[in-house]
Amino acid sequence: MNRIINYLSDAVGGVLFYFRQTKLRTFLTLLGITVGVSSIIGIMTVLTTFDRATTGLVEEMKTNIFYITRDNPIEISFGSNDRHNRNKPRITWSEYEQLKRVLTLTKHISAVVAEEPSDRTISVGKEELKNRLSSFWGGDGDVLETQKYEMISGRNLRQQDLDSNARVAIVGYDIKEELFPYSDPVGQMIKIDNIPFEVIGLLEAKGEMLGQSMDSMIGIPITSFLQYFRGRSHYGEGLQLILESESMDDLDAATDEAIGAFRAIRKIPPGSENNFYIATNDQLMDTFGDFTKYLQMFIGLVAGISLLVAGIGIANIMLVSLTERIKEIGVRKALGARKIDIFLQFLIEATLISIIGGIFGIIIGLLFGNVVAYFLQQDPVIPFNWVLYSIQICASMGIIFGLYPAIKAANLNPIDSIRYE
Amino acid sequence: MAKSKKEIISIKSISKIYHLGTNVVKALDDVSVNIYENDFISIMGPSGSGKSTLMNIIGCLDVPTKGTYKFNKALISEMNDSQLANIRNEKIGFVFQTFNLLPKLNALQNVEVPLIYSSLNRTKRTQRAKEALKIVGLEDRMTHKPNELSGGQRQRVAIARALVNKPSIILADEPTGNLDSKSGLEILKFFDQLHKAGNTLIVVTHEKSIAKRAKRRVELFDGKITLDE
Repeated sequence: MNRIINYLSDAVGGVLFYFRQTKLRTFLTLLGITVGVSSIIGIMTVLTTFDRATTGLVEEMKTNIFYITRDNPIEISFGSNDRHNRNKPRITWSEYEQLKRVLTLTKHISAVVAEEPSDRTISVGKEELKNRLSSFWGGDGDVLETQKYEMISGRNLRQQDLDSNARVAIVGYDIKEELFPYSDPVGQMIKIDNIPFEVIGLLEAKGEMLGQSMDSMIGIPITSFLQYFRGRSHYGEGLQLILESESMDDLDAATDEAIGAFRAIRKIPPGSENNFYIATNDQLMDTFGDFTKYLQMFIGLVAGISLLVAGIGIANIMLVSLTERIKEIGVRKALGARKIDIFLQFLIEATLISIIGGIFGIIIGLLFGNVVAYFLQQDPVIPFNWVLYSIQICASMGIIFGLYPAIKAANLNPIDSIRYE
Repeated sequence: MAKSKKEIISIKSISKIYHLGTNVVKALDDVSVNIYENDFISIMGPSGSGKSTLMNIIGCLDVPTKGTYKFNKALISEMNDSQLANIRNEKIGFVFQTFNLLPKLNALQNVEVPLIYSSLNRTKRTQRAKEALKIVGLEDRMTHKPNELSGGQRQRVAIARALVNKPSIILADEPTGNLDSKSGLEILKFFDQLHKAGNTLIVVTHEKSIAKRAKRRVELFDGKITLDE
């Protein structure tokens, strides 16, 4: 045991000495490892930040609500699935009506047509909305409730608005700020592509989510949407249905019932795949998780290549160091160092260099990631598991790439080495 | 020769043969020599006579091609690398012509090097190294690096390093070869002291003045012992 401690302190001293002697060379070797590790840690810090942001979102949206849509709205696909998607029929009004009649476990169902984002011209008098709308939707029933929006002035959509295709609109807080800065918009007129609508409700500001305003939105009755905007709208995507089960406990049963009912409406034979997409909020967030997973894999690959290059650098510096220290090895052997002693000395040195580079990389990566987190208005984070992985990766790299120089050093003949000049 | 003394080294008919391409070189040819406790031996001979080879074998850096070599009755000629390293560490103190101190370490750390490979803890290691430096009179130079010491001081650090493990023999290869005559004389006087203190010394040299100080002289020529008195 004492021997091992002796090696360690000896090796640390040796490494520090050579760092001082060969500053530039050591710096360049460390740089490779530092870049590799800092890129891993930086990206993982940013992703952890994102994860936190979306976890907040999931928590907020964790309800007994689920969706039926033509396709997964946030699916990330590599290669083209488009042909497959095009074959999926859009959800029609009549399917919606039929579904409404048969569902028993669903407390509430509403249909939405949405343009996200929307390029509609929004104006009040001669004043036009400068920024693009994040969302322009037509809905029936309580779309706002399911999306957790609070009304601060006016009223929600009513059945009679739907029945009469009323030209009424609910606006988000961004619309008020820009077009009605000094007055309550409720009761005033707003033009959507030059068609006048009466503002009946104003929503509380929700702020930004992942850099996008949640308040730049306008909602109107779905019947009006289909009457006035269907021709030029994203109706091509069909309706999106928002369903709500009685409680969280009924969510699975209600989802199953909805799938069965919708398959029956579409007359999908048993054994065939659904030609629609059904998802709970959890599943939607899982898809986001898939995205970060792909990103992690990609970064892993880039960092892996950079670390491989860095590892070759370590092997190189250890071989150079070996050539410079042949005499030292000879002296140490004459004074009683065994092969294993010399082997361990070199291996420990290589591992130390690698870990020191890794520690710099971790510090730089954390700084970089948290600067990004700061700009995304997130709290600072430290992805501890990745810090740990990085140190492990560096240690293994030191061992793997230090192995050949260490074996070479251990096998030097003491008589020749001692005479080496 | 005081045969009653304890025998440390027993070398019987050893040969060392090198194959250099097609040439066969007999560096040592049927050499036998015994070394006893508190001997002070000089090994002399012209270059190529085999004295370095004999020194390497006595120092357990090399093994003979033929013959037997016993150190404290242990059969060295059949030991593996690791066992030889342990013998070098525990039983033999080396003093080299070019001092061979490690430039990155200070005097104290240099003296500690052999102890790194024994199982002493740090405190004992430092204590032993300090004692050894005291013996060679360099207790006030402990934190100096080799390049901050004179040639004579460096060689004294090297001697302290050789003494630190309390070895059975001290093996010196041209210990004054790189020193001016004054420093060389100091080292030789020091060797006399070590001998008086009961140490066993083997000095390889080609300087007659050194050989005269030794109590026993061995001369080699063409791989054979030509004188042992």
